[in-house]
Amino acid sequence: MAVAKTLEAPIEVYRFEPGKDAKPHYDRYTLTVEPHTPVLTALLRIRTELDPSLTLRYSCRSSICGSCAMQINSKSRLACQTPIGPEIEKHGRLVVEPMRNQPVLRDLVVDQASFWKHYDRIEPHLKLDPRHPMPEGKPNPMTPAEVARFYETPRCIACAACYSACPAVEADADFPGPMALAKLYRFVVDPRDQAHQDRLVRIQTDGLWLCLRCHLCTEACPKDVRPSERIRDLKELAIAAQGGTEPGSRHAIGFKENIRERGQLQEMKLVRQSDGVGGMLAQAPQGLRLWRKKPEIAKKPRAIDDLDQLEALYRELDAPPRDDS
Amino acid sequence: MRIAYYPGCVAQESGRELDLATRWVAKALGIELVEFPNFSCCGSGFVDEANLTLNVAINARNLGIAERAGLDVLTVCSTCQGMLTLANHRLEDPAMRARVDPALAKIGVPYRGTVKVKHLLEVLTSDIGLDAVKARVRRPLAGLKVGAFYGCHLLRPGAEAGFDSPEEPHTFEDLLSAIGAEPVMYRGRVMCCGFPILFVKPETANRIAGRQIADAKDHGAHAMATPCPLCHISLDSFQNKAQAVVGRDLDMPVFHLPQLVALAFGATPDEIGLSRHLVPTGPALARVAPSAGASPSA
Repeated sequence: MAVAKTLEAPIEVYRFEPGKDAKPHYDRYTLTVEPHTPVLTALLRIRTELDPSLTLRYSCRSSICGSCAMQINSKSRLACQTPIGPEIEKHGRLVVEPMRNQPVLRDLVVDQASFWKHYDRIEPHLKLDPRHPMPEGKPNPMTPAEVARFYETPRCIACAACYSACPAVEADADFPGPMALAKLYRFVVDPRDQAHQDRLVRIQTDGLWLCLRCHLCTEACPKDVRPSERIRDLKELAIAAQGGTEPGSRHAIGFKENIRERGQLQEMKLVRQSDGVGGMLAQAPQGLRLWRKKPEIAKKPRAIDDLDQLEALYRELDAPPRDDS
Repeated sequence: MRIAYYPGCVAQESGRELDLATRWVAKALGIELVEFPNFSCCGSGFVDEANLTLNVAINARNLGIAERAGLDVLTVCSTCQGMLTLANHRLEDPAMRARVDPALAKIGVPYRGTVKVKHLLEVLTSDIGLDAVKARVRRPLAGLKVGAFYGCHLLRPGAEAGFDSPEEPHTFEDLLSAIGAEPVMYRGRVMCCGFPILFVKPETANRIAGRQIADAKDHGAHAMATPCPLCHISLDSFQNKAQAVVGRDLDMPVFHLPQLVALAFGATPDEIGLSRHLVPTGPALARVAPSAGASPSA
């Protein structure tokens, strides 16, 4: 039998007990581990063998319960799913910290109240038409094609790794976070749910358009839910349901119409399309500042060659729904 | 090498200095930029929110134009790079193909899906290679500490972008080292610049930009550099707003990636449009050790 290769892993763990410690500090431990040893296993060994005061959240150790999300060398990950070897190989050390965007309760445990509050707000349950309740004792079947539309989203284990990784959550308390929006998408495309329109209208003013589409959530997600892609889907559905009612949806529609005219972005015109004349006036001092250095912003760009081809694509694929009756 | 040059809208408009620097670097390295005045905007991540299929078709048309000429595509914008690359991947879905192909057939620009989309960062570090870049340096940027700022769509989603690590990339830092600058590592380098919501909720967008700039500054950067002109708008053009929101002076010059490469190759500030920046770049240039590289024996 081959002898497993072991390594001496220097592990730095964030420690903080609010009310007792003036500020956080890092404790350094060295363990002999195998490269495939999960970070969670190492933390539990630290707690058992070296320091029983280390506080962390975990349960299943099998990437199912979603309890052990934390920052591992600055990436939001499940500790049970992240092997130590590649981290040491890449960084020469292992730094373990609590998730971001949620206040620390103690050491690696955070207060998840805001994460769950946003989840509650999307009403994560099927809303049925009271006139057509779920048939008692009978199945309410969906076709495979219907299920395929939200196949990825139910895999979510609500670990909050996406919430921890999200720069919009970090900068704006109004943003619901990737998980809540991905879950909302799941109900919006569920054929049994009867509140699609209402859900889409509400989310337009409830933070949908604060998503930065940076895709950091998609990288952090341990279950490949790809929240950023589901948020994009949600935006398109919201526009289809209601049109451009918010700055975000107006901007997306305005951009689409903007490049239709010349094939290239007309920068100044976009400000007017998104913000209206009032918004444009509000932006005027900044616009003037930019114009002095970059006078092109006020000029119309050249129209691209073969603009008619672009127009034909719009007519084929962006025509308003036709009434053939 | 010959490659189809896809400058994107901003490099032809408010970010023309990026186009100037790209052409300077391409000429210096013998890269032939083949131009296609029929390329359209990539949709910039906004059009696909309004109509995904249309956006894929728009970019399939762009890629089809390059395919007909037998060329791969060079981008100089993280967002153009992301949108064109995602279109390539989304066309692997037969349902998307079934919607897009008939429209492309009607305009006579079919696309088989063979074109590779490469950002200038990839061309410099992979196709040209760091040794060749290093060999062309006339004025190493010694003494200049630079925080690379990647721009999301160059890196992510990693499964599609696939040219560097989506969360822990290194190619930009490798390039900075090759031209003699000292790369600064900081968390913000892979974060968002705030641009996508600059017209949705400006204060939040400015705060996001301000935090990344402050992060670079706190890690010792004299300047930042970005491969994305949209990040440049957030970080340079709106830095005054960002510093008002985060409540501290930032004074951070922000270069476009090819500007720094051109400077190291011997370009003058005028040739690469440095006077068009909102935050003056002079203080950063003054950091470069004056005699370095000019006369190696001195």
